[in-house]
Amino acid sequence: MLAFIIRRVAQMVPTLFGVMLLLFVLFNWVGGDPSYILAGKNLSPEALANIRHQLGLDLSLPQQFVIFVKQVLTLDFGTSWSTQQPVTSILHSRIGPSLLLTGSILLLGTVLAVVIAALVAYLRGSLTDRLVTLISTCAMSVSGLVYIIAGQYWLAHKAGLFPIMGWSDRIAENLLYYLPLPLLLGVVVGLAPDIRFYRSCFVEEMNHDYVRTARAKGLSEPVIMLKHVLRNAMIPVVTSLMMSLPYLMMGAMLLETFFSIPGMGKEVVMAVDRSDFPVIKAITIYIALATMLFNLLADIVYKLIDPRVELS
Amino acid sequence: MNKHALLAMLAACTLLPATAADMNKVLHVAMNAPETGFDPAKVSDLYSSAINENIYDPLVSYDYLARPAKLVANTSTLPSVSVDGKVYTFHIKPGIYFADDAAFKGKKRELTAADYAYSIKRHLDPTVRSPWSFLVDGRFVGADELVKAAGKGALNYDTPVEGIKVVDKYTLQLTLTETNFNFLSILAMPAFGAVAREVIEANRDNTNAHPVGTGPYLLKEWKPGSKIVLEANPGYRKVVFDSVPGNDPVDRAVVKALQGKTLPRVGRVEVAIIEEEQPLWLSFLNRQLDVSGIPQAALQDALVINPKNPLDVKLADKYARQGMQLQRQQMPEVNFHFFNMQDPVVGGDSKDKIALRRAIAMAFPVNETIAAIRRGQAVPMNYIVPAGVAGHNPAFRGAPKYDPAAANALLDRFGYRIGEDGYRIRPDGKPLAVELASGTTALNKQWNEYWQQAFDKLKIHLNFKLGKWNELAKANQQGKLQMWGMAWGADYPDGENFMQLLYSKNAGDSNAADFKNADYDRLFEASLKLPDGPERNKLYDAMNKIVVAQQPWIFGDIRVRSTLAQPYVKGLKLHPLLNTSWRYLDLQK
Repeated sequence: MLAFIIRRVAQMVPTLFGVMLLLFVLFNWVGGDPSYILAGKNLSPEALANIRHQLGLDLSLPQQFVIFVKQVLTLDFGTSWSTQQPVTSILHSRIGPSLLLTGSILLLGTVLAVVIAALVAYLRGSLTDRLVTLISTCAMSVSGLVYIIAGQYWLAHKAGLFPIMGWSDRIAENLLYYLPLPLLLGVVVGLAPDIRFYRSCFVEEMNHDYVRTARAKGLSEPVIMLKHVLRNAMIPVVTSLMMSLPYLMMGAMLLETFFSIPGMGKEVVMAVDRSDFPVIKAITIYIALATMLFNLLADIVYKLIDPRVELS
Repeated sequence: MNKHALLAMLAACTLLPATAADMNKVLHVAMNAPETGFDPAKVSDLYSSAINENIYDPLVSYDYLARPAKLVANTSTLPSVSVDGKVYTFHIKPGIYFADDAAFKGKKRELTAADYAYSIKRHLDPTVRSPWSFLVDGRFVGADELVKAAGKGALNYDTPVEGIKVVDKYTLQLTLTETNFNFLSILAMPAFGAVAREVIEANRDNTNAHPVGTGPYLLKEWKPGSKIVLEANPGYRKVVFDSVPGNDPVDRAVVKALQGKTLPRVGRVEVAIIEEEQPLWLSFLNRQLDVSGIPQAALQDALVINPKNPLDVKLADKYARQGMQLQRQQMPEVNFHFFNMQDPVVGGDSKDKIALRRAIAMAFPVNETIAAIRRGQAVPMNYIVPAGVAGHNPAFRGAPKYDPAAANALLDRFGYRIGEDGYRIRPDGKPLAVELASGTTALNKQWNEYWQQAFDKLKIHLNFKLGKWNELAKANQQGKLQMWGMAWGADYPDGENFMQLLYSKNAGDSNAADFKNADYDRLFEASLKLPDGPERNKLYDAMNKIVVAQQPWIFGDIRVRSTLAQPYVKGLKLHPLLNTSWRYLDLQK
């Protein structure tokens, strides 16, 4: 196991270098010249040249890339080009609200989806199963934006059940007052595809020979479902979850925008709009690192769930 | 007793901290785009300036009620100006203090002339990268030498500059290189509010997050792009509302609510950044906001618009019955499309090129776009200087009449024949196609549909060059664009701020059309030597006629801003140049 982990960590180095190179090339190729955004109304060649000099954009591309490498090694991405705030402090202030929002959506959404999927898989072919599948298919065909707009209008404005938007510094106030509506809508948006995916995982497992053997041995259906099917069906569930985890950091852009939640989703949009390369660099690198780490973690969890899995 | 001691005693009587604001009153407002920071020398966006306006004090400011906007004393008396319009002498009022800050080491820090000298010099400092440097570059006697000596490094602020002279603790003398009778309006901008040198130096790495001024509010909390909280500055000098109402009933209501009262009234201002229209509008309707603009999508719900005259507007009954207040104001801005005057197809001053530009202008339905895209909330632009800005001429009609048939006849007359493919060719027989630069938003697409229709009516091929704003701005500077739309809002309420947009020395900068016309330049330079008045207006008219004749721009429109306030909000009156009214607002729930 340890050798496997060391080998995987070593493989992360060239992968991260590739991400850095790709990001650097893309920004310089299609990112646009940030000096025009930062110059405001003053677009004189002297003002633009001064901005480029102050940002280090007048250095050669290899020199700029070396600076980028140093930033990644020290995890110090300097200051934002547009607000001049330290990138670290920007991300630090944004990550909490995003994790609270996306983490709770993922947790609640996954629990609900797994329970409903297991239930309809158990009742496969029944009216309930067909109804849930039909509703899920219809729900998936509606854009997430529609849920957000309609939910905010009807549940917050018309029914007055929730505030229209807002966020507080107090976690309890967020959990009890500001979070419930975006959480509800986030769960609703993700629930239908998750139910369909997890249902298919459960149904596939239930068709295996070992389930028939268990029944032949006289085990009850609940025991078969909970002890055997659920455990084996968890591998794709874990894969899906692990793939989702790095993106928790990215926040939920639409929800954050509509509910004025000061999370990473809003920050990403702002950074891209403003060609704020230091912020874009930091977020991309952290997401890349998180993706690699969670992939590794997923492999380890497979082994824990099913000891027959070989780590190679 | 000497004169300064007497002045100081008098000031102490009138400028004692008043703490009039009721700290239990919280004003909830919103901005629809994120701010960037609060260093007045580093930011130029409207949203940051709106906050800075409440934290810092410029030397002079505007009367809240007077229209057209009228400059009044602020931290300084109105200056004496030399006969040649070059020397401005300001007397700072003694007894004004900065908000407390650690950089002051526990001592009260008085505002002095040196603070304004330092604050103005910061706009010249290459390391500050001030977006407003164009307003001060080359303006002050001796400043160019200081900037040159700095090279790409920091300015030496201790080097005396003849044009930015601290005469004594309370006297600042600015000497300009050229006559300028309108310079005062530049100094009224939030960008020229006073900062304290020791605060800037103590927070050198992050001046945007550490605003300390002498204004009515101080920054209590900042979550970039999300929330800004201001609290009444407990050390703010005693400022009593004293303004003369005009004929507007709103003026009388404001005077009734505020006359004789100290400002600010509200102890706390919470500013939410709400970029989407729905949450902004619903938050206002649910009283999570006290004052709000009306989003485009809500205009039809909120307003009753006379279909025959879209500017005849009243508040919808359901909101009027609740006592909500509607205020509307034409913005001090112009929206226009420009031609690249150096382009071989659309530029140049030969008659056929002028005819092509004129025909395109005549084929574009400005009134239709005002009705359909602006939903009636704009007026056609007819003069380079908009209403509310010194130098505007309301009688001038610069926009050509919408007449596609006449436009086609004009093109026929100047040799733009219809080719074999049914589209026009150039007089020299080469194919004719025009490329219009555009952004990629849904709104851009709406505009582009009208442009396509206009060009189709002229039988001219139209291509769109789509891109982000900074990419297009760069392409334009490199002469790679043929046509592009642009907006210019007043930085200060003087016609010079608009007329310079076509001055040849600003080509490649604010003169995006790269328009170079010797007559226009001569008139512009002559206008700089004159104060606002009939003599300068004549020059402006002549310059507008040149622009109408040469057609480097297609005049577009000027937007009308609609703002709603809850019934309990008192003291609101929209100002054409002040970004906010927060210090004047009271909440009487």
